[in-house]
Amino acid sequence: MSAHTYLRPTARPRKPLWQYYDAIWGYIFIAPFIVVATVFLLFPIAYSFYLSFRETWLYSNWFDQFADMRFVGLKNYLDLLQNPTFWWALLATFVYALLVIPTQIAASLALALFLNTKLPGYRALRSAFFLPHVFDVFVVGIIWLLLYNPQIGPFAEFFRWLGVDWFKKHGFVDNPYTILPSIAFAMVLKGMGFGMILFLTALNNIPESIFEAAEIDGANARQKLFYVTIPLLRPMILFMSVTGLVGVLNAFSEFYAMTKATGGVAFQFLGATVQSARVSGFYLYQLFYDAFYGHAAAMSFILLTIALVITWVNFRILGKEA
Amino acid sequence: MNPGSLAAGALEKRHMPKVWRYTLSYAVLLPLLFLVHLPLLWMVVTAFKAPGYGTKLDFIPSPGEKMYTVENFRQVFFDKDFPFYRFAWNSFVVATGCALITVALCTAAGYAFAKKRFPARDLIFAALITIMLVPGLIFMVPQYRLVLKFGWINTYWGMILPHTGNIFGLFLLRQHIRGLPDSLLEAARVDGASELGTFFRIIVPLSVPVMITLFLLTFVGQWSNFLWQLIVNTPDSPYLTLPVGLSLFQGQYQTEWEKMMAGACFSILPIAVLFTISQRFFIQGLTAGSVKE
Repeated sequence: MSAHTYLRPTARPRKPLWQYYDAIWGYIFIAPFIVVATVFLLFPIAYSFYLSFRETWLYSNWFDQFADMRFVGLKNYLDLLQNPTFWWALLATFVYALLVIPTQIAASLALALFLNTKLPGYRALRSAFFLPHVFDVFVVGIIWLLLYNPQIGPFAEFFRWLGVDWFKKHGFVDNPYTILPSIAFAMVLKGMGFGMILFLTALNNIPESIFEAAEIDGANARQKLFYVTIPLLRPMILFMSVTGLVGVLNAFSEFYAMTKATGGVAFQFLGATVQSARVSGFYLYQLFYDAFYGHAAAMSFILLTIALVITWVNFRILGKEA
Repeated sequence: MNPGSLAAGALEKRHMPKVWRYTLSYAVLLPLLFLVHLPLLWMVVTAFKAPGYGTKLDFIPSPGEKMYTVENFRQVFFDKDFPFYRFAWNSFVVATGCALITVALCTAAGYAFAKKRFPARDLIFAALITIMLVPGLIFMVPQYRLVLKFGWINTYWGMILPHTGNIFGLFLLRQHIRGLPDSLLEAARVDGASELGTFFRIIVPLSVPVMITLFLLTFVGQWSNFLWQLIVNTPDSPYLTLPVGLSLFQGQYQTEWEKMMAGACFSILPIAVLFTISQRFFIQGLTAGSVKE
């Protein structure tokens, strides 16, 4: 036995006691948040997954349907995948996303470029464009319902003045052809100021020297825009596409408001009657409203899968060199 | 935000005189601004119109004609079946309650995640951040069931609590508190401050601007949280909020646009005022989320 063995216990530095206090206090400080997040966020994800394999049935206890659901395996998912209304919901969401996301990004970028100068009153203009973003989307939807009204709204009247009578007859959100573009138009106007602020921040983070270098190389304004500014804004465009996509998958209130809770005019799709503006979020709500809780849960997991896949694809495409 | 940056590609032609550039900018921006605010304008004008005039594209009354009135606001505010004063109060309570609780939870947890060392800290934080990717609708059905189980249908709690675990807010506060120097905390400890004393006397006062930002973002978000307030209230609930009240009102009075727009004003105008006086905080918070991306 050498002296070494005796020294061992003291050779390991003892942790001062306050470090344990520190850890304990750490847990105390996060405890309230963790409790809320566990109950209302973590548990719901797991529970939703569990529910997606179960469904209420004919003899369910109507006063506590959740307690009395049968295991049905993959039936909910298969039901959805075989239902044309489900496919229309996805297609409508996809069409709406194609209408709204690129337009929103382009409009926001254009606004940001206009207001990135010392244009007199630029601060006030920035705020004014941003303002509608904070308004209640449902209430704004109701106002648009008035603006789009074929009899009494200004837009139909404006088009008639231009010589187009079509909207006076068919309305904007009262026919399956223009309902999605009309809603998209309203939402782009509401949201472009928010995108503008994001782009302004991103523009501000680009070092001046890059533009100076481009100028010395003889780049003109258009070249600077397409070969310098836009490529450098790629991360922001990626961010806006991803958040925009998740937003569209979740979109509900604007559709509820502008279709008067119906989901829009019905038309035939793959041999089934579908509501023209019943996008994925609305579809999920409808399943929930009709007490198909298991189907609604399955739908939410399909949406999650789509969101993850598209986010991943987006990162692959736009994320390169970004 | 640095104005006059060379990044302004679209109109930054050196040889183009300023006056022309500005005129061109205004020629594009002002009509667009009008279009962006058309709903707001239309709402306010229609809300002031006398019954029957809201459906007409007439704005200038002929002599002796009573085209404008404030009656709509009065009637809607004290409506027997759809009392907008109640809706507005409920919206205010829900938005304020949710914002206060959110800020309290996020500040405490943000402090711990930023400055405390404890086992699994980073793991827990990463797990929470991952939840941000999940589309919000996944939570709807299970949260509804929880609210049902807790007996919170038609209560303020049912509308408030499920949305107080705001992970974006946690992230915002944690980023901010991480930036505060550790020496402050050590100094406090040397001076014998208790854990709670350190938190309330040092962390909280230094985080007030970010807390205000989170408060405002949550307030505005919950003021407008239509879907959730729709499903946890039955139509006869005494705690209906503005958007839900307006949707029921719309179901009843399809054609009375003047009153409907007066009701809409109660939702839109307070937020417009709130934004105008506190926009600095809004923009800080909204950009914080994206720049860190």
